Amino acid sequence: MNNVSHPAKIESRPGHGSVTSYVIGFLLSLIFTLIPYSLVIHQSLDKNALLATILGFALLQMVVQMIFFLHLGREKKPHWNLFFLVSTIGIILLVMVGSLWIMSHLSHGMSSMNVTDKIVTGEAIYQVNGVQVGTCSGNGTNHRIVLLGNVPTPRHTDAQICDTLTIMTQDNVTRALMFGPRAKAETYAGETSVSVSPKQSAVITLTQLGTHTFHDRKVNGPTGDFTVTR
Amino acid sequence: MEADHELGGHEAASDDRVGFGFWVYLMTDLLMFTVLFATFAVLRNNTFGGPTGRELFSLPAALSETLILLTSSFTAGLGMLAARRGSKNQVLTWFGVTYLLGIAFLALELREFTAFIHEGHTWHSNASLSSFFTLVGAHGLHITLGLLWMGITLVFIWVRGLDSHLIRKLTLLSLFWHFLDIVWIFIFTVVYLMAFV
Repeated sequence: MNNVSHPAKIESRPGHGSVTSYVIGFLLSLIFTLIPYSLVIHQSLDKNALLATILGFALLQMVVQMIFFLHLGREKKPHWNLFFLVSTIGIILLVMVGSLWIMSHLSHGMSSMNVTDKIVTGEAIYQVNGVQVGTCSGNGTNHRIVLLGNVPTPRHTDAQICDTLTIMTQDNVTRALMFGPRAKAETYAGETSVSVSPKQSAVITLTQLGTHTFHDRKVNGPTGDFTVTR
Repeated sequence: MEADHELGGHEAASDDRVGFGFWVYLMTDLLMFTVLFATFAVLRNNTFGGPTGRELFSLPAALSETLILLTSSFTAGLGMLAARRGSKNQVLTWFGVTYLLGIAFLALELREFTAFIHEGHTWHSNASLSSFFTLVGAHGLHITLGLLWMGITLVFIWVRGLDSHLIRKLTLLSLFWHFLDIVWIFIFTVVYLMAFV
């Protein structure tokens, strides 16, 4: 009870505020809450301006409450609390801006279906009848199919599971090889097609068993097949 | 009187240290909220075909929650001034009002949560709702713990009267309460208002 019996001494210590400061803080906070609320309700600005304005009012209200409710900066020097707050805000900006930036780059142009297909081929997931049963370790034999004119060489390839298949073009045509016979599109290891640029090659890992045909998207393009066994 | 003065100086220095320690805790708590905010900001549109925030949230309800919490922050401040004047009854009155407003806030929030869950929009539904329930729920949990702390402190004050120890507890408590109001401003803006932009 000792402290309480000397109100004058206690009031003189810095950083405690007064009724006036709390009332000012309260009224300003009310205003800074109601303005962005009515702006959003009436949709009176375009999207980006509205976004910037309501975030601005939130920051303004934070500063108001820190000054009038938390009495920041009115403590004795050195201002350790303020120092800590400023460094925390630095970390907050890093985390917020960094997360949004990185994640928007990652999700750019990548639909969720794309992601699944890319994981299937990227991780070389070994499939039997479409069921994933393991992954290939990457030391299978490599087979080569050369596309020249309308003829793939060889027309038929025999391979074992986890082997790789290199498809090369030797002319100046960009090839889009589709899996399955011309009449009926199929997928192979999650992919519907393989595209090969002129005088380049593409490699696929044979992770699905069975005999599979492929055909060029063009009407008279090369067609062929390959058989994958255990 | 001389002894009193010595004691007062020592208490003040100790108050500053405890206050700073509590401030450091608040800043780390703020970092935790930052991570939850960042998660929400990244995942807010990943609704997996489910309804977006615009279809789910009610802005008037969010505004009432905001105004209730803001007023409770204000009454906590008035209670703190009463504590420094040494007026036990005013402390009990103002913090009693703060307590009731806190309960009202929590009730509104729980009503919103249960309504979502009854409509089948749970934290299992999609990434957007998972991050929503985590962020807003973490704030609600802080409010619940704050109310527990406030209730216990008020009972102590009621029974034992105001002493310097309890005034220090109230100081930290009001700091915590103002802090939760500031975090809520950003929940109101980022979660609720931005869903309608």
